[in-house]
Amino acid sequence: MDVAAPRPKENQGEPLPRVDARLKVTGQAHYPADLPTANLAHGALATSSIARGKVAKLRLDDARAVPGLLDIVTYGDMDKVDKPKFGNSSATSIGPLHDRTIFHDGQIIALAVAETFEAAEEAARLIRAEYEEDKPTASFDSPGTKTVAAAGKSPMFKEDVKAGDFDAAFAAAAVKIDQRYSTPTQHHNPIELFSTTAYWQGDQLVVHEPSQNVTGWKVELARQLKMDPANVRIVSPFIGGAFGSKGPMTPRTAIVAVAAKRLGRPVRCVTSRMQAFGTQTYRAETRHRIRIGARKDGRITAFAHEGWEVTSRPDLYVVGGTSATGRMYGYGSVLTHVSLVQADRNTPGYMRSPPETPYVYALENAMDEMAVALGMDPVEFRRINEPKTEPIGKKPFSSRSLIQCYDQAAAAFGWAKRDPKVGAMRDGDWLVGMGCATAIYPTAVAPCAARVRLTVDGDVRLQCGSHEIGTGIRTVAGQMASERLGVAIDKISVEMGDSSLPPAPVSGGSISTASVCSAVLKACDAIRTKLYAAATAEGGPLAGSHNEEFDLADGKIVAKSGASAKVEDVLKAMQVGAIEEYAEFAPKGATPEALKKLYAGTPEFHGGDQDEDSVKYAFGAEFVEVRINRYTREIRVPRIVGAFAAGRIMNTRTARSQLMGGMIWGIGQALHEATEVDRRYARYVNRDLQDYLVPVNADIKDLQVILVPEVDHAVNPAGVKGLGELGNVGTAAAVASAVYHATGKRIRDLPIRVEQLLV
Amino acid sequence: MSQPSALSTNGLSRRKFMAGTVSAAATAPLLASTARAEAPIATQPKLRQPVVTSLRINKQAYELSLDTRTSLLDALRDHIGLTGTKKGCDHGQCGACTVLVDGKRVLSCLSFAVMNDGKEVTTIEGLASADGRLHPMQQAFIDHDAFQCGYCTPGQIMSAIGCVNEGHAESENDIREYMSGNICRCAAYPNIVAAVLQARGETRGA
Repeated sequence: MDVAAPRPKENQGEPLPRVDARLKVTGQAHYPADLPTANLAHGALATSSIARGKVAKLRLDDARAVPGLLDIVTYGDMDKVDKPKFGNSSATSIGPLHDRTIFHDGQIIALAVAETFEAAEEAARLIRAEYEEDKPTASFDSPGTKTVAAAGKSPMFKEDVKAGDFDAAFAAAAVKIDQRYSTPTQHHNPIELFSTTAYWQGDQLVVHEPSQNVTGWKVELARQLKMDPANVRIVSPFIGGAFGSKGPMTPRTAIVAVAAKRLGRPVRCVTSRMQAFGTQTYRAETRHRIRIGARKDGRITAFAHEGWEVTSRPDLYVVGGTSATGRMYGYGSVLTHVSLVQADRNTPGYMRSPPETPYVYALENAMDEMAVALGMDPVEFRRINEPKTEPIGKKPFSSRSLIQCYDQAAAAFGWAKRDPKVGAMRDGDWLVGMGCATAIYPTAVAPCAARVRLTVDGDVRLQCGSHEIGTGIRTVAGQMASERLGVAIDKISVEMGDSSLPPAPVSGGSISTASVCSAVLKACDAIRTKLYAAATAEGGPLAGSHNEEFDLADGKIVAKSGASAKVEDVLKAMQVGAIEEYAEFAPKGATPEALKKLYAGTPEFHGGDQDEDSVKYAFGAEFVEVRINRYTREIRVPRIVGAFAAGRIMNTRTARSQLMGGMIWGIGQALHEATEVDRRYARYVNRDLQDYLVPVNADIKDLQVILVPEVDHAVNPAGVKGLGELGNVGTAAAVASAVYHATGKRIRDLPIRVEQLLV
Repeated sequence: MSQPSALSTNGLSRRKFMAGTVSAAATAPLLASTARAEAPIATQPKLRQPVVTSLRINKQAYELSLDTRTSLLDALRDHIGLTGTKKGCDHGQCGACTVLVDGKRVLSCLSFAVMNDGKEVTTIEGLASADGRLHPMQQAFIDHDAFQCGYCTPGQIMSAIGCVNEGHAESENDIREYMSGNICRCAAYPNIVAAVLQARGETRGA
């Protein structure tokens, strides 16, 4: 079998090809900026060239003289519209055209709209601003930062988790480390550019924009525009990569909607790659101090994790990954603290494994250092500290297959052949290093609605307002319906990415497969119940059968006794052409307002560390081989193996692809990705894909994904743990571990680059 | 980090092409981004006068009246309605806009439409047969799950066909190197290599 389509093991679904694959290889998948729109006008943004101050004056004459210029939306033009409200549906509270204050470099100062893209771009570049400029604060260590504790200040952060008496335990520990780590600014850079196309049909507003959260955006955009949400529609049938960047709506959306209203015609604004760095969200730079104390036998007795994160002046965005790092191992005592450092920057936002990428990187690099300090194999060190319950609330894990992941990945990687001595492994001019680290991601689930229709012809139409960001959600939702209704996948059409469909939660936090499949399961089971009741009713084709177990397969109801009836005949007996069910799924522990909040675009998340009965996480183990040239210090990662356990796998093909992509993201985090901040101007420097390095094809060679079977009925009805974000957690620490093994140099600041290995 | 391979831009290398437009801009600001020059384009109306351009795209003839600044990419997407070719950076850095011009891979964002007058352009929409049968490279991308979000995919497929026809798909290492001008942010790279390996034989004959 092809490596891209792993043979399913226990509790793993068939590797069906993606249902939208043909559209994607023929250019027929329409991303929002591709949707045909008649009489389109083009918009282009003008953005600030300072990071702090005020716009004193805008000179628009040159721009207005551009032939084809239709309109310029700027200060004063948004006064009848409300400012954005910072939260899950909105990237920032900054209303860039609501007042002339500049909070960050690259802030929108105007939108030029013209008959053609070329004219709009020309006009936008001719808009001249005069500023009253203040000296900006760029980042950590810049004069003028303000540091606040996340706990109690940011509603996004629950608490600084702790357990036991860290100070006493650390003081008494036989072996200890106290180290600092850092991760850089990063931008998602999906290949699809950010865009908004807006048009009005009377009082109704339609927006085509790549979105991971069409329901949340509909409600938030309606609030900004003071409209009934029923009159706003967000359309996003295909999304060209998101990684969190298309989760919260940015202020551009309302500005383009206002432009379309003023002109009375559709307006499209495609943000340039460069402008996206300042007008979208990003992963802020972080710093960490980690202290670990252990007994000589390797048992950890004390763990402290302090984190610092940069955010903007107006918004206290926080990732705060200490909830996961504080529960990772069986520490005797835990102390954590998260601080936010405010600077003159755009508001950060979630980016693939927002808390875990930086925080678990720091923890796992420290774990490797600790293993070295103990003179212990790093895998053995983790095995010794495997907990029975999590250390904070002493709750059990709903399932935890970390050691199985380590064992299977280590075997596939050939860890036993590693010479533990630093610098001992060489291949010609290449120093060889091998390292490993743990991946963890919380398993959450949210309320979700879905509509499923089964027709007398055996066709199924599945509708759910979730989002195909490349995860394969259309395919796995279709697979769930196929399995429960006994209908072949090619008879199922799956509609997603439209706020007029039944609402789904934001496609973030690795919740989509669990949430959507649980809703689809509920709708399908309601159809099954109706079919069985009709089939077994008096005069029905299965009359006489009562409360038997049954299944649907190949268009038939098959009872355990062996009796069967065609679904077509059951529907005919019911005198209907179709059965349609609208299901609303709410997870265990949901509040009475849970479904109302789903429709309001603010769904509650359950699972992870939130539940009373247990904590819920997916785990993995990653092993990497690095090769470092002894002369140039060029760093390559020729081999990487990851083993992951994430409950039920709906489709081994799409699951493997997501984990593979995550692992390659992890390699990018280790070696490539960093947005450089010019500290003088608080400005991003490398604002394009030439200078913002991401892994390319030649950076990746031998990559293996192992799907470790795991069954977990506690997480959600579908038994699914998310895995879209699991793969890139820990990878960078595994690379740092391997670099240390090869060279004896412990690199604590990402990304790891040649220059750090030269000294 | 590997450097993206140097794709040809209508006979000019990307590097030369970029250098050429920058120096040309000093005397004749063709690009909007150079409009900061002393005399704004607004005072030079001639440059904006549309030029009638004949393009052959997927074996069909198009006669378009285009702004001279319109890229081949924007001509395809905004003027002809062939949106399969994608814009990922507009700077020749990501490869999403790759098309074939006279059989060779070209970054359509770095090529003005008027430069392609009379040339044969093939886009992702022109690969499958009229009866719906997919090009072997398209089928291979499905078989090996060589995409996730699918946005870079048209460019990857066009580039893969160009790569094979250049003779740069002889080894896995070659494929990795010569496909590195096409960024896949979902990172389907190993699957893309597998797809090119599967389809290279049939593509050579196609």
